[in-house]
Amino acid sequence: MKYPVTLLVNNESFALELEARKPLLHVLRDELNLTGARRGCESGYCGACTVLLDGQPVHSCSVLAVAAGGKRITTIEGIAVNGQLHPLQEAFIAEGAIQCGYCSPGLILSAKALVDEQSRPDEATVREWLKGNLCRCTGYTKIIRAVLTAAEKMRAGA
Amino acid sequence: MSTDFAVIGKPLRRVDTVARATGRITYGVDVKLPGMLHAKVLRSEQPHARIVRIDYAAALRLPGVKAVVTGADDPGGRFGSRMADQPMMAHEKVRYIGEPVAAVAAVDEETAEEALSLISVEYEPLPAVFDPCEAMRPEAPLIHERMHEYKYWEGWCNPRPGTNIINALVLRKGDIERGFAEAAVVVENTYRTHAIQHVSMEPHACVVQAEADGRITVWSCTQAPYLLRGSLAAALAIPASKVRVIATAVGGGYGGKVRLKLEGPAALLSLKTGRPVKMVHTRTEEFTGAVTRHPSVIRMKTGARDDGTLLACKAEVILDTGAFCEAGEVVLWEVVQATPGPYVVPNVWVDGYCVYTNHVSAGPCRGFGWPQVTWASEGQMDALARELSIDPLEIRLRNAFDEGSISASGEVLHSVGFKECLQRVAEAVNWHKRERRPGRGIGLIGFTKMSMPQTASAAFVKLNEDGRIGLMTSAVDLGQGISTALAQIAAEEVGVTLADIEVAAADTDTTPFDSGAISSRQTFHVGNAVKRAAVDLKQQVLAAAATMLEARPEDLDIRQGHISVRGVPDRAVTLAQIGTATQIRLGQPILGRGSHLDDDVVMPDLATGQSPKPAPYWKYAAQAVEVEVDSETGKIVVQRMVSAHDCGRAINPLSIEGQVQGGAVMGLGFALMEEMIFDEGRVVNPNLMDYRVPTSTDFPDVEAVIVEAPHRDGPFGAKGVGETSTIGAAAAVRSAIADAVGVTINDLPITCEKLLDAIEAREKAEAPAKT
Repeated sequence: MKYPVTLLVNNESFALELEARKPLLHVLRDELNLTGARRGCESGYCGACTVLLDGQPVHSCSVLAVAAGGKRITTIEGIAVNGQLHPLQEAFIAEGAIQCGYCSPGLILSAKALVDEQSRPDEATVREWLKGNLCRCTGYTKIIRAVLTAAEKMRAGA
Repeated sequence: MSTDFAVIGKPLRRVDTVARATGRITYGVDVKLPGMLHAKVLRSEQPHARIVRIDYAAALRLPGVKAVVTGADDPGGRFGSRMADQPMMAHEKVRYIGEPVAAVAAVDEETAEEALSLISVEYEPLPAVFDPCEAMRPEAPLIHERMHEYKYWEGWCNPRPGTNIINALVLRKGDIERGFAEAAVVVENTYRTHAIQHVSMEPHACVVQAEADGRITVWSCTQAPYLLRGSLAAALAIPASKVRVIATAVGGGYGGKVRLKLEGPAALLSLKTGRPVKMVHTRTEEFTGAVTRHPSVIRMKTGARDDGTLLACKAEVILDTGAFCEAGEVVLWEVVQATPGPYVVPNVWVDGYCVYTNHVSAGPCRGFGWPQVTWASEGQMDALARELSIDPLEIRLRNAFDEGSISASGEVLHSVGFKECLQRVAEAVNWHKRERRPGRGIGLIGFTKMSMPQTASAAFVKLNEDGRIGLMTSAVDLGQGISTALAQIAAEEVGVTLADIEVAAADTDTTPFDSGAISSRQTFHVGNAVKRAAVDLKQQVLAAAATMLEARPEDLDIRQGHISVRGVPDRAVTLAQIGTATQIRLGQPILGRGSHLDDDVVMPDLATGQSPKPAPYWKYAAQAVEVEVDSETGKIVVQRMVSAHDCGRAINPLSIEGQVQGGAVMGLGFALMEEMIFDEGRVVNPNLMDYRVPTSTDFPDVEAVIVEAPHRDGPFGAKGVGETSTIGAAAAVRSAIADAVGVTINDLPITCEKLLDAIEAREKAEAPAKT
């Protein structure tokens, strides 16, 4: 049985007919070709599929797409504005915080939720906010630096 | 640090990093083709059993199912690294829980999954063996009855058909008994290491298309496109060039994505249906159907003079390679060569065995045997230091490899930055004046790794009509930054900027041969090939420019894409003019070619392990870890980690720091958090809730120290660095714990339970002395 759902993704509206059991992750990837949400463990532990739902980070593998109707969904494809990378993307690149890059979209989105909520997070807060996003390449050192640097730049720019 | 280079030695942004930051890059899991089917594999539920019957009629009747394949559809070719022992799908019998028994292609993943439940397999269970020491006994169940038929590379393997020993290698030097007789102190211990999983964030994924002309096209997140091509062709019994492997972006590999896995069943299904077939491992299948790090049992006896000078090292090393070799036979080869550690030991006796069991196969895993053997050899150094009351740093420096040292195999070593690594780490933690605090301890250890011999790389460098340079290799960037490093090497050599280089993705139809992203080899091997190809291109460019400028090639300079006559800057042409002229007007397109072979490597003598140059290069490292230990709960908190690495020459320091930091944390996970737990061959924790990998809150920042001892054979002196940092962490943690609470754990992983038991045992042992 399919249900009509309107998903608001990166400020664009999509009218879809979806089975109730479809995870948001599959709909983003398979129906909307937004593959920046990554398939990692599909059980809510790795964070590679993180997107923002009304600004809050969620594991999109563990959210039903029909339940995301009417909410603002932000994926990695939606955070650069007018071709300008988001300060977090810039900082991740500059600090060398991206290696294989598979976890990067999820980490950047979790970090975005943090810096949108707190303009001056300390290192412990950054570590706490990112602990749901596994990264196997970097050991996190450069990721933490990147988030702190981006937060600082965003404060300076604001 | 290098100051006289224009492009290398600089922490430049990676060439592919914007694509990764924006999610606009195609990994294996993202590949989508018209008409594509989705595959799922039915895996063995038995650790060791004969397959009596497979009935999949009901699965075929399920709407949406297009094909089912089993071992009967497999042409029967076997593949492997240096020992071809593995079929794509189980033939006649299964050897581990998780082995592919049948595979289904259907219109979507859910239908394929449902179809699996409609396949019934009747097994006749066979006795199984899970302990490698038991598997070596004559009465152990035989896992590969036809070992004598398997093809293997002479020099790498000493198989023992009729047993479970797939490889038995030795290292012999000096007179081991005399060495121990002369020793003032001898320590002997048994060390154990465990299975871990690579946990690449991207699971194994591929799409395979059997083409109308009989060719097979594979899109795969492989680390080694040519090795995958060779394995798949061998398994399908077709010529290698009938297979085309297109490398996708790779979401982490660490050794886990080197060999043929799900591409095999997907190829059989595509051959049967004529449609592209996609397959992606679930996270569970990553644990049950991919590869692990080899568990090991190492018994080691080491003797030294009373001043700490090493005299003798005797060891028996046993590796559990599980049901198939994967690369176990080569891991053993490196382990045997590695056993004494980065120290001069005049008398050495090593017996190494790689043994089949009914576990999921172990394979290449970042460090390739060296984390296991370093766990043992550094444990011995600590034990000797304690026995002799010598400072742990001092005993290491006293015996450390240096320029001109002779290794256990008889090699005279060059470009050795080991002592500097030890000293830099010691300085960073203020070793000689370190503060003593209750419950706190610092461990400082050293280690090495060689890069695997007998690999090859080739590179093409093309001048485009716009003057920009196309770089074609089959190197794979799985996050280490090799695309950028190679582009930096090409730019430096040609005399252009990094922005002038375009790096092509590996495609076995167009990019030249490469042995892959294995053994920390790409910077060294592919880097050399690229450098030579760039020299070749430059000569062709100068020859063309000389004609255009009516000058002699030796009077020309290339700078920033301009070729001018030395001293006459007005007489100049641009690379764009040359690129256009040579390709469009002269019909002499410029293509530089280069390659790298380990042509000076001598395979060790099988009877003694001796060789004047067993491997292309060694890299050296040292690490210090500070821990805080709660003696009541056994809780271990890593407070600090310093990791120093001799990378020869840092091509891109930013990437190297990243490798060092990431590797160190993977090593800390191996030491303290991660363990695949088996029950009669079944992985009982095949998920990321029960198998914990390090998160952002588990460990502190890793302080990376770059040491440069330029290697005479490396491109601009560079060596690889990818694996090293993972190797020593566990040994460093053990030393730090011993420093903090005075107990030593030689059985990995180090858990609170083991630590509390050890503390309790020590207290009991000390109790009579107190009364």
